[in-house]
Amino acid sequence: MRIWVTGLGVISPLARGAGPTMDRLLAGDRAIGPLTLFHLAGSRVDIAAEVKDLRVDEVAPPGEEEGWSRADAMSVLAAREALAQAGVDPRRAPVDLILGGTTAGMFETETPLAELSREFLPVMGARHGEPTTPQVPHGAVPHLQRMLSHPLSSTADHVSAALGPFGQVRSLCSACSGGANAILLGAAWIRAGRSRCVIAGGVDGLCRLTFTGFGALSALSPEPCRPFDRRRSGLNLGEAAAFLVLEPEASARARGARPLVELRGWAVGAEAHHITNPEGAGETAARVMRQALDRAGLAPADLDYVNAHGTATPLNDAMETAALRRCLGAEADRIPVSSVKGQIGHTLAAAGAIEAAITAMAITRGVMPPTLGLEEVDPACQLVHLTAPRHGRIRAAMSESFGFGGTDTVLVLTELDAFPAPVSPPPRGVVVTAAATVGPLGVLGAEGTLAYLEAGPAPQPGPIAFTAADHLDVARARRLDRAGRLTTVAIARALAESRLPLEGDAASRIGAVVGSAFGSIDGSTAFMRRVYDKGPKLASPADFPNLVPSSPVGHASIYLGLRGPVLATSDLEATAESAIVTAAELIEAGEAEAMFAGSAEEASLMIERCLGPVCSGITDRGARSEGAAVLLLEAEDHAAARGASVLAKVLWWGSWRGTAAPACLAGAPGPGPGSEVILGREDERMHGVLTGSPWAEVPRRRVAPRAGDHEGAGGFAAAAAAAAIAAGTIESALLLGVAPDRGYALLLARAR
Amino acid sequence: MEPSEVRKQLKELMVSELNLEGKTPDDIDDAGALFGEGLGLDSLDALQLAMAVEERFGVKIPDGPEARPIFASVNALVDHIVAGAQAPA
Repeated sequence: MRIWVTGLGVISPLARGAGPTMDRLLAGDRAIGPLTLFHLAGSRVDIAAEVKDLRVDEVAPPGEEEGWSRADAMSVLAAREALAQAGVDPRRAPVDLILGGTTAGMFETETPLAELSREFLPVMGARHGEPTTPQVPHGAVPHLQRMLSHPLSSTADHVSAALGPFGQVRSLCSACSGGANAILLGAAWIRAGRSRCVIAGGVDGLCRLTFTGFGALSALSPEPCRPFDRRRSGLNLGEAAAFLVLEPEASARARGARPLVELRGWAVGAEAHHITNPEGAGETAARVMRQALDRAGLAPADLDYVNAHGTATPLNDAMETAALRRCLGAEADRIPVSSVKGQIGHTLAAAGAIEAAITAMAITRGVMPPTLGLEEVDPACQLVHLTAPRHGRIRAAMSESFGFGGTDTVLVLTELDAFPAPVSPPPRGVVVTAAATVGPLGVLGAEGTLAYLEAGPAPQPGPIAFTAADHLDVARARRLDRAGRLTTVAIARALAESRLPLEGDAASRIGAVVGSAFGSIDGSTAFMRRVYDKGPKLASPADFPNLVPSSPVGHASIYLGLRGPVLATSDLEATAESAIVTAAELIEAGEAEAMFAGSAEEASLMIERCLGPVCSGITDRGARSEGAAVLLLEAEDHAAARGASVLAKVLWWGSWRGTAAPACLAGAPGPGPGSEVILGREDERMHGVLTGSPWAEVPRRRVAPRAGDHEGAGGFAAAAAAAAIAAGTIESALLLGVAPDRGYALLLARAR
Repeated sequence: MEPSEVRKQLKELMVSELNLEGKTPDDIDDAGALFGEGLGLDSLDALQLAMAVEERFGVKIPDGPEARPIFASVNALVDHIVAGAQAPA
């Protein structure tokens, strides 16, 4: 099956529009200039690549501008362009949306966050579990409401509101490879027959948090950056949004679509090395490049261009050069390489998508953009660098993205029909081979987790009793914050129960998807307070990486040596289900043999006392508590080949937006004797979802009363359901993760 | 500030800022290497320590290769802080 790219959309610091951005790249224009969006007194660096003249009211409905971010505006404009070029309208035909982003509305919320924590938290009392109706000063409410408008999943929500409805919607937040991972997941959906049209891409806007954070890491260059140059001294931050419309050839052809290029190869893998520093020799990046070429059915001799990650940090560019040489061999002396970051800066999660779009245009136009700022090639970066645009046919090109925590993603785009159609293997069955939870009842494997389904006392409010030293080598785990430790311990427990071999090459096919509803709210608040109170020069370098939403799962991959796909998702109270479904889809499409999947939610006064009760109106919540829960999902044939004991088979899954729950659930196999619905939290929304479904008639159990009434309770429900099926007490379980305007459903059943 | 007091505060700062859980200030060797085989610190720790030293003692640690000898050991860091604190602002 060929996958066609039928539309491109780009909002970049150089121009509005994919074509105009490419024109200015080829003209050698540079968008890196004085930072005007905000002023940080005492900052060593004051340049960035800003998107100028961006107005939220261009896309937000009148009167709702407060709730829309610059990232939303960029995303809507770029997505609209991509859909228009493809000639698809989500209101007329089903289109799915995958969006990779890291900061969402951070620019809009970082100041209110710091003010809230300084002024209002002390007033409300700084202890968990005190009265559920805090006396919030009147002035705080607009701040709080604005913050609730911008959770990590809000950009996808706003794109949906402006351009949708979309069928399936997924928010990935895996840092600097986020946009590339969105495109990769889109390809997996198409290959497995889960989507016939998906718009996938990435966005990140400039904000004080990333600016001071990269500054604290000494990663920012005070001058326009110089990728691969001997004098390179760091990156420039930029902002952008970019999307690609992906369709299988057959259905795109049937609707008369005009293809631009083919998306032919993709791969993602984790370095399991260091949270901020890349592996020096580039082994993982080279391996992921090889995997992407293998997926494409191509060899280095077929490549005519590489669009590099090329951030201009000393470590990245040397690593990337080593990796390219390792993968391409002698062909590295033939294949031209360039990085656009000297012109548009590093646009973080948008980078993978915008660079894929630029690579696609390089192929269609037959011209490669240059690396601006490169004058004197570093001896450690010897490649065929382009310092001016080069014309020439490009049969196939590679686009590379490397992110915090060491998630490396590579995409391969090709000219239309330049190579024989790739063969798609059939979708693989998925089973659950382990489950683990870290919660109020302790660190438990599948069997122990069954206790969450039984009656018992509610958990204490606030943090659970959890001593990291009992489960982790704290010398190795000293960088892990609480979410990172909860995540790592949960995965480690499931790993121990599964006896999954991690030695040698096996680890490169084992990954993890773990999310959280809001990311590191308390950590981000403390970081920004410090910046405001003490100045950007005293921002904490060690704390910044932990604010990245993919940091907990990234830390787990480093600690445990997971080298397959390592990603984070976010979707409010359905985050765990979103992660589990994403992992199942990656296994189904052959991107991994096994994936740990779930969510981690840490006790947070900001969430418990501010966001929850004031903004979402949930005042009758039980004790929120905290915890992490994961399933180990595994390809059915892989589990069988190693003789693993299977807890349950993943029979079916689906997701919906808006009012499409009945249509989604209508696709699920019906219940039988011994079927149950097993839930995390249960509220009014859940009843509406089940109305009219035969699943409304079966017994329902929920885990939140014992596991904690928090956004990750669905992960505990999934673990308990798998355990109950394995124990033989039930035959099958429907899991439902429901949040405002969205939901996920999974059906686990006894393996036959 | 007396060098002995600088040394005491610096070691406390290292334990807290670098999350050296399970270690006490007394466990940190005065002359041992901080990076690599010694205490096992890395470049991210160096950035954190430089920031914390500037905050606590008001003494800057330069970027790049000049920082290398300063981060060689606790003794070298104490010398740098004491010299920096005595230098005219």
